[in-house]
Amino acid sequence: MAEKPQPVRVLYCPVCSLPAEYCEFGPDFEKCKPWLIENAPELYPDLLKDRNNKQVDKVSEQLQSVGISSGGGDVAATVIPSGGTSTSKQEEVKRLPGGKIKKKEKQEIIIEKIVRNKRKCVTVVKGLDLFGIKLSDASKKLGKKFATGASVVKGPTEKEQIDVQGDIAYDIMEFITETWPDVPETAIYFIEDGRKVAAA
Amino acid sequence: MFKKFSSEDVSSQNQVKASVQRKIRQSIADEYPGLEPVLDDLLPKKSPLIVVKCQNHLNLVMVNNVPLFFNVRDGPYMPTLRLLHQYPDIMKKLQVDRGAIKFVLSGANIMCPGLTSPGGALDDDALAETPVAIMAEGKKHALAIGFTKMSAKDIRAINKGIGVDNMHYLNDGLWKMERLE
Ligand SMILES: [Zn+2]
Repeated sequence: MAEKPQPVRVLYCPVCSLPAEYCEFGPDFEKCKPWLIENAPELYPDLLKDRNNKQVDKVSEQLQSVGISSGGGDVAATVIPSGGTSTSKQEEVKRLPGGKIKKKEKQEIIIEKIVRNKRKCVTVVKGLDLFGIKLSDASKKLGKKFATGASVVKGPTEKEQIDVQGDIAYDIMEFITETWPDVPETAIYFIEDGRKVAAA
Repeated sequence: MFKKFSSEDVSSQNQVKASVQRKIRQSIADEYPGLEPVLDDLLPKKSPLIVVKCQNHLNLVMVNNVPLFFNVRDGPYMPTLRLLHQYPDIMKKLQVDRGAIKFVLSGANIMCPGLTSPGGALDDDALAETPVAIMAEGKKHALAIGFTKMSAKDIRAINKGIGVDNMHYLNDGLWKMERLE
């Protein structure tokens, strides 16, 4: 079995999921840049040049505090708390390499029913990951609980969400708060007729 | 084909009978002889092989919740891009120029001039109506799986219109479905 071909290991970008060399054609190259600078500078030598030019204004320090995950399969860049600063998660501010400030996403769960082909419908659950819940895990639990298909997919904004087959929007809230007590009811919202409505 | 694909396009998931499993394995081994040495790892005889039927006569072949191949009706099996990335030499390669990359990644079919321009490249052995890997100028890894409308020789000679249908590309619905639970 010596002639067995070894699988090629491709460097995938954890931000956009594409092979790192295709980030420049991905949905949001800007977001990939901090990770690329740390993990694949040879692919984008210009990025490194840019950064070195800006080093004067401590951009690199900022990057470190954003906490770039060291590769691996995780889709979202992990936020590592830096140097013992105990800023609360909600208020954490990300600084992009361009110096732009980006607010960290609010911790909330959005549940939306989407009707397809008149009779089929899907309930989309977004935001569980913001509570530290593993989506693949949650998806399994939801599928089991409601005896239906559930899967983790990337939503239109390239964030991961769970699609559950069928209309379970109103049973799901109870299930979420029972299964993950850390999630407050007040953080759950429904989208109804395009409007966001608090579930609690 | 997978532009708007998601788990809701799945109509059924079934573990197939041993005889069907053997048939699928055989077709894949015939189509991709380069995979033969690792076929036992990819499609272990003991792990159940799941065929996922989706809309538009599309089927996925899945092991341990990971889609590995797809086909349309009884057409040839094609690897998912994640699988092709691991075993890049199992398919004939056609290369588009850099200018075509963003079109391919938005799902467009591949036009002949994108393959025949200085940045493009053609494997002259590629025949019509066969699955091929679509590579790109300056990139190491495939960005799409194509199905040729004409042979590489005709692509060169005719040099207009669609040369290859874009079946599956980076960041389409199948790419995003890394696993199907
Ligand atoms: Zn990226």
